[in-house]
Amino acid sequence: MSFLQDNMVYILVATISMSIPLILASLGGIFSARSGIMALGLESMMMTGAFTAVVGTYFSGNAYVGLLAGMGGGALISYLYGILCIRYKVNQVIAGVGLNLLALSATTLLTELIWGNRGSSPQVASIQLNLSFLSKVPVIGKILEGQSILLLITGVFVCVAWFVLFKTVYGLRLRIVGENPKAASTMGLKVKAIKYQGVIICGMLAGLGGAYLSIDHIDLFQRNMTAGRGYIAVVIMILGRYHPFYVVVAALIFGFSDAIQIYLQGQGIPSQLMQTIPYVVTLFVLAFGVKHIRPPAGIGMHEDDH
Amino acid sequence: MESRARIKALLKKLMNRKVMISVLALVMAMVTSGIIIKLSGYSPVEAIMAIFEGAFNGKSAIARTLVQATPLILSGLAFTVAQKAQLINLGVEGQLYLGALATAMVGSMDLGVPGGLHLIFAILVGMLVGGLYAGIVGVMKVRFGSNEVIATIMLNSIAILVANYFVSGPWKAVGSVTGQTEKVLDQVRLARLIPHTQLTLAIAVAIISCLIMKWFFDHTVPGYEIKVVGQNKTAAKVAGIQTGKIVILSMLLSGAIGGLAGGLHVLGVDGRFITGFSPGYGFSGIAVAALGAGSPIGVIVSGLIFGVIRSGSMLLDLKTDIPLTYADVVQALVIIFVATPMLITEMIHKSKRVVSAMNPSSKKGEES
Repeated sequence: MSFLQDNMVYILVATISMSIPLILASLGGIFSARSGIMALGLESMMMTGAFTAVVGTYFSGNAYVGLLAGMGGGALISYLYGILCIRYKVNQVIAGVGLNLLALSATTLLTELIWGNRGSSPQVASIQLNLSFLSKVPVIGKILEGQSILLLITGVFVCVAWFVLFKTVYGLRLRIVGENPKAASTMGLKVKAIKYQGVIICGMLAGLGGAYLSIDHIDLFQRNMTAGRGYIAVVIMILGRYHPFYVVVAALIFGFSDAIQIYLQGQGIPSQLMQTIPYVVTLFVLAFGVKHIRPPAGIGMHEDDH
Repeated sequence: MESRARIKALLKKLMNRKVMISVLALVMAMVTSGIIIKLSGYSPVEAIMAIFEGAFNGKSAIARTLVQATPLILSGLAFTVAQKAQLINLGVEGQLYLGALATAMVGSMDLGVPGGLHLIFAILVGMLVGGLYAGIVGVMKVRFGSNEVIATIMLNSIAILVANYFVSGPWKAVGSVTGQTEKVLDQVRLARLIPHTQLTLAIAVAIISCLIMKWFFDHTVPGYEIKVVGQNKTAAKVAGIQTGKIVILSMLLSGAIGGLAGGLHVLGVDGRFITGFSPGYGFSGIAVAALGAGSPIGVIVSGLIFGVIRSGSMLLDLKTDIPLTYADVVQALVIIFVATPMLITEMIHKSKRVVSAMNPSSKKGEES
């Protein structure tokens, strides 16, 4: 009995820690999608964030500078995504895929140019602050005590995102732009500026999610370390109906499948087969879970379309 | 005089807008990556020279270039075929992986049939596996309206993991340390075109596949229907085309070509399936298809161009400290620039203005 209990705690701890980057990225994706730009470039923003976080930490020696650098890196690539989708009206899928490939190859190239090693960076400082002060809380204290401080920050961001999107004039404007850019433009809203803001908020959050992977979860950058999480975050965003709270629930499902996968690897089942679990779950959700969910109506549209 | 006019007409036909965009996108990708090289402290000119030397200097260099071009042409073709029906098949990498594994397994079994038959059978099984794997996405798309971009990315990860499981477990070659299958029988190895190189008939198969697909799209009913579905689904439905079937068909075809790319790599280059054999050929195919501007013939040309860049980058890797990944950066930039025709037309306008500002007397010559 206690054996099961121990494992349960272990799995729940892993569930939460694997969910954090997914929540952050899909939360970012909401801002982008709600402003009318489907965030298929999430993978590139996470990857770049993971990389620049390590670069920032490596050169400053401070992991918190690294976190900011991660957000900055994500913002930079999302700005690029914005330029492509908003200014040059590139097909959002192609722009996203192109940037994802660019981020993968550019981070690999830069890893080798900076550190002379293609596979990974050297170890850097990592975020050490955790929620140990919660260890006295009954029942969930055990699950929370080892979690990173970023869990708390993520929770705050989720609430702030909900408030901004649904309780402020700014959020209303952002959603109008995403539903009907033409009408928004007629109303006198600066459609392009709002779209850029949505995309850049998206990049900062996804970059933070990437930074969590590289300088919190572990302490170095590895080639292709996001491993498709950006795409999974897109599915989470859709499954969570483009809503911050539902996205948390959806992300926990995926975090759980990741945790089960990690747990079962230690149980003698071939690790490669276990690693497929999160991808298989995504595939099933994609097939059976999201068909009836309506995306913002203005996705892929421009205010000066005819 | 008449021949000159003919050449002019031919040039005009060749230099249509799509080709212009492709050429300029390639130039811009090279320039941008040159800037990256410059910023990292190397000389872009030296890098370009090294690439050309690595790609063309001598028989074995040219052979290596063509060997590199083979999977690029095929994965570019696979992407193009799906794109004709407005589908984005990012799953070529996974289809290529499973196709290679299937071909390697069939090729290593002694079936007691003559060499030629065995070879064709091995290739066909690889194509079938690749095709069916892509077909899953087609069915998901038609039946559940699933986004094929995400589905194919997930299937890539699954395919690579499952293949790695098989070759490091049940199907692992006896006595081998790394994950790989047994060698295929000698009778199924493809014939070498140049001795002592890896250049085999595979390059011919790749080019012929492109020609077949061109014929398929230009002269057959299903090919035509795929194009109609891609251009206007509603119109296709009104015209009585079963769009669902056509979507699945184009995914099947696309995946089969991806499987062919993997199978040819096994029978032509490695002689077995080796874990991690593909440096992302499937993804490179997106760049090849983008540069090829949706035409199977364009894919041949752009596959060769990327073959040059990839094979040249190998020498670049050896001679300078610029890593092989450089080729991947160029590819990603090409995808982005080809997708951004507005940027290119904007640049053309700007440069025209600059030219005419610098040289006002030349305005007459520009009228054409």
